[in-house]
Amino acid sequence: MSQEVAVVGSPDFTTGFRLAGVRKFANVTEDEQLDAAVREMLDDEEVGILVMHDDDLDALSRTTRSDVETSVEPVLVTLGGEGGSDALREQIKRAIGIDLMDED
Amino acid sequence: MADDVKPTRKELMQIEERIELSERGHDTLEQKRDGLIMEFMDILDEAKDVRSDLDDKYEEAQRAINMARALDGDVAVRGAAAALKEHPEITTESKSVMGVYIPQIDSTKVRKNLDQRGYGVLGTSARIDEAADAYEELVDQIILAAEVETAMKKMIEEIETTNRRVNALEFKLLPELRENKEYIEQKLEEQEREEIFRMKKVKDKKEAEEDAEAAAKEEEDEEVVPADD
Repeated sequence: MSQEVAVVGSPDFTTGFRLAGVRKFANVTEDEQLDAAVREMLDDEEVGILVMHDDDLDALSRTTRSDVETSVEPVLVTLGGEGGSDALREQIKRAIGIDLMDED
Repeated sequence: MADDVKPTRKELMQIEERIELSERGHDTLEQKRDGLIMEFMDILDEAKDVRSDLDDKYEEAQRAINMARALDGDVAVRGAAAALKEHPEITTESKSVMGVYIPQIDSTKVRKNLDQRGYGVLGTSARIDEAADAYEELVDQIILAAEVETAMKKMIEEIETTNRRVNALEFKLLPELRENKEYIEQKLEEQEREEIFRMKKVKDKKEAEEDAEAAAKEEEDEEVVPADD
């Protein structure tokens, strides 16, 4: 099944992606709307990759944030910020016993 | 200790079999976990490279679009963005690494020619084209990052599950089985000792009886002899 890339974020953030042809996008100006927009993308089966700005993750509610960070379909890719989600880092620490993301 | 352990030889044999099986399973799972961790290390290195490329490309794309915005105006950029007809599509296939299915994402229609983009060439400037170019490159990189990141998530999940299984065997099931085995062995030994003691008692009693019988007979004989005179 073919899927699409989706972008959630401020209009400034999404415009560039629309220039590259990304059709699924949600312009969010208020932090409160972010949760609903992300939920919608998570439920959309046509979305294979969800792109967000790292700063926007902090505005999400706890449950939505952990859902989106651990989700495999769609998978979340964040831009900006330090990169690498905290949830994944925690999981690596728990599973392997060492903080592998620490080096850089 | 489980309460329903019956101290019988049959149960002992069964428990010994289970211990052997669990130990074998434990070793196999441990090997699987080590293998997964090795694979994970490779993917992690790859992910770090992809990440840093991604950040570079994002900065580049942002610079390009800011340029376009500054020189052509926000409205022109948005107008061009709204005119796009072709949409990048991705298809996912999966491949198995040590029993973990990790995705391989193929993309189509990410890179487009000028005439495929859908906005007019005349109405827009080269800066918008550059921005579109940069963002197409970024989307390509995002797809790559998505692939690696999904693989990482799946691998780490599998490592966690395997780890939990190894620990459950090592710290819960195996100690329990060994304790049961010891309990049965001790119980059986005790039964054996009891049996020996019982036999001894029986033997003593029998000997005592025999002695008594012999003594009685001797007495009888003795009584008979003087009667001869």
